[in-house]
Parts: sequence; structure tokens; C-alpha cells
Amino acid sequence: MSEAEIIEQLKSGSEPAFKQLVENYQKLVVNTCFGMVHNKHDAEDIAQDVFIEVYRSVRKFRADAKLSTWLYRIAVNRSLNFIRDNKKRKWFQSFEDSVETKTKALQNLAATKSDQPGFQLENQQRAVLLHEAISALPKNQKVAFTLSKYEDLSYSEIAEVMDLSVSSVESLLHRAKKNLQKKLYRCYKKKCL
Amino acid sequence: MNCKTLHKELIFFLEGDLPLEKREQLEAHLNECPDCAAFAADIKKTLQVTENEKSTEVNPFFYTRVKAKLENNETQHIAAFENVFLRKVLQPVLFSILLIIGVYSGIKIGQPAPVNVFSSTQFDQETVPYLNEMETESIETFLME
Repeated sequence: MSEAEIIEQLKSGSEPAFKQLVENYQKLVVNTCFGMVHNKHDAEDIAQDVFIEVYRSVRKFRADAKLSTWLYRIAVNRSLNFIRDNKKRKWFQSFEDSVETKTKALQNLAATKSDQPGFQLENQQRAVLLHEAISALPKNQKVAFTLSKYEDLSYSEIAEVMDLSVSSVESLLHRAKKNLQKKLYRCYKKKCL
Repeated sequence: MNCKTLHKELIFFLEGDLPLEKREQLEAHLNECPDCAAFAADIKKTLQVTENEKSTEVNPFFYTRVKAKLENNETQHIAAFENVFLRKVLQPVLFSILLIIGVYSGIKIGQPAPVNVFSSTQFDQETVPYLNEMETESIETFLME
């Protein structure tokens, strides 16, 4: 079933078309959400909401845009909302709770990757370090960096998703990489790992 | 090329964003400086994390979960609508009716009772005339006894 056919059938409420859509784009949406929130369970939860939103608002979809671009946009917006709500919740959490959450995140990471023999403690620490560095980036830089690194999108594709010019995306990615390097160098100096 | 310049450009070098000339300069410095080479290796490993994290497997239960969530959301949506209708329409209507009944009964209770002309004349006839004791028994007679 082609993209246009899926859209047409979805507009008439076809369930097989919805199933096809989810199967075709599941990886794209989950990966994008994971790149933003850095947690597998949260990413899948957000991805489910993305598909529900697509199902409900497919009538508003304009045929001139690519379906994947629309999905990226919804995934990015949902993930940013999730991060914002999570920040608010963390603000009211006590110190003990935040330590507990961090420990849980580390345990989750270890549990999810324990079946891969090459993935060791050092890699887990590197992952936590990189996630913290990406999370500390300004919103637009984070989105551009995630789409570039986790989805391998080109500058023009990122520009389309973010509704910016290609040169703005270039500048965003340049600044994001510079900021990341600063943080990673600081950590390297302090011997975080 | 010194260490400071390399630290500024390293991530772009690792990402392949630098022009050939600059890349060669950085490579030459990395071959000479073991500290910078160690830092470059460290950053390279850290950036490699994103490659390992890219999901290649598909969750077989994903669609079932989306479907269940969608149905659940629809039920919640209807329940929420009913709840809103109950809270925002039915409750105010009920309170308004109660208020109107209360005000109406208050007015009714507060009104004076209708005057019965017949019983009023009876009351006049039955009134006991004022008894002036001084006339029947004067104070002098009372003291003399």
C-alpha cells in the first residue's frame, strides 16, 4: 500500500490502513522520541500517542507535505511536551527521589543492554554522559541534533521538519556540536568516566 | 596547530565536517600529541553511543498497545464528556431549581395570614372589660378593714 493510499484509507477510518501505517513508521517515530527523551519505555509511550494523534487528525493532513515529515513534527512536539512536563514534576521532587530516578535509569540501561556482550559498564556511563549533554542543549539545537544523529536526516529534511531555512539548521547543528564538545571536554578533564 | 585549536575543532573533524586542508592539519597534530589523541578517542567512543542506540528491532506488541490505548482514550473521552455535562449543565440546573423553590416558599411563608372577619367580631365580643379595682373597693375601705 502506497503512502497516498494509506492516507486516503485512513481518512475513511480504515483499520488495516492504520495498522500498515504503524508498522511502516514505528521505527522512525520510536527512534525520534528516544533521541529526545533517552528512555525506551517513555519513547514507546510517546510514539503510541503520536500514532493516536495521527489517527484522529488525519483529515487535517495536507497532501503536499510528506507523511514522514508530519510524523517527525508530531513526534518532536510530543517529546518536547513530555520533557517539559517531566521537568515540572522533577522540580517538586525531593533530592532522594531524583537520586532514585537516576539509579533506576542506570539499572534500566543495564537491563536493556545486558544481552549484548559488547555493551559494558563503560558504554553505559558514556550513554548517560552523552544523554545529559544532549538534554542540556537548547531546544532547537537538541531537535536538530537528534534528527541528524538518530535519524540521519539531511540538512534540508531537518529544515523541512523544523520549518527553518537550511542555513539556520547548519548553524543550529554547528552550535549543538560545539556545546556538546565543551561539555564532553569538561567531563574528560574531570575524569567523569 | 596547537592543542587548544584542536579542542575547538575536534567534534567537526570526527563528524567529517572539516575541509581537507584542516583535516590534514588535525590528523598531523593527533599523530604528534598523545593527550589530544586520547581525548579524540574518548569523544569518538562517546559519540558512537548514538549509533548503538538506534533501534533496529520492532516491538511486536506495539500496534496492539496503540489500538488498546486508542480505544481506552475514546472511552475516557466519552466519560469525560458525560462528567463535564453532569458538572457544567445538570448541577447548575438542579441548584437553580432548588433556589427558585426556596425563594418561592420563603415568599409564601412570609406573607401575613388572611384576616377572618367573623372570628374578629367574636373576639371583640369576648373581650373582658377592664376591671378598675379602685372603683369597687377604694383604698380607704381596704385600709380600714
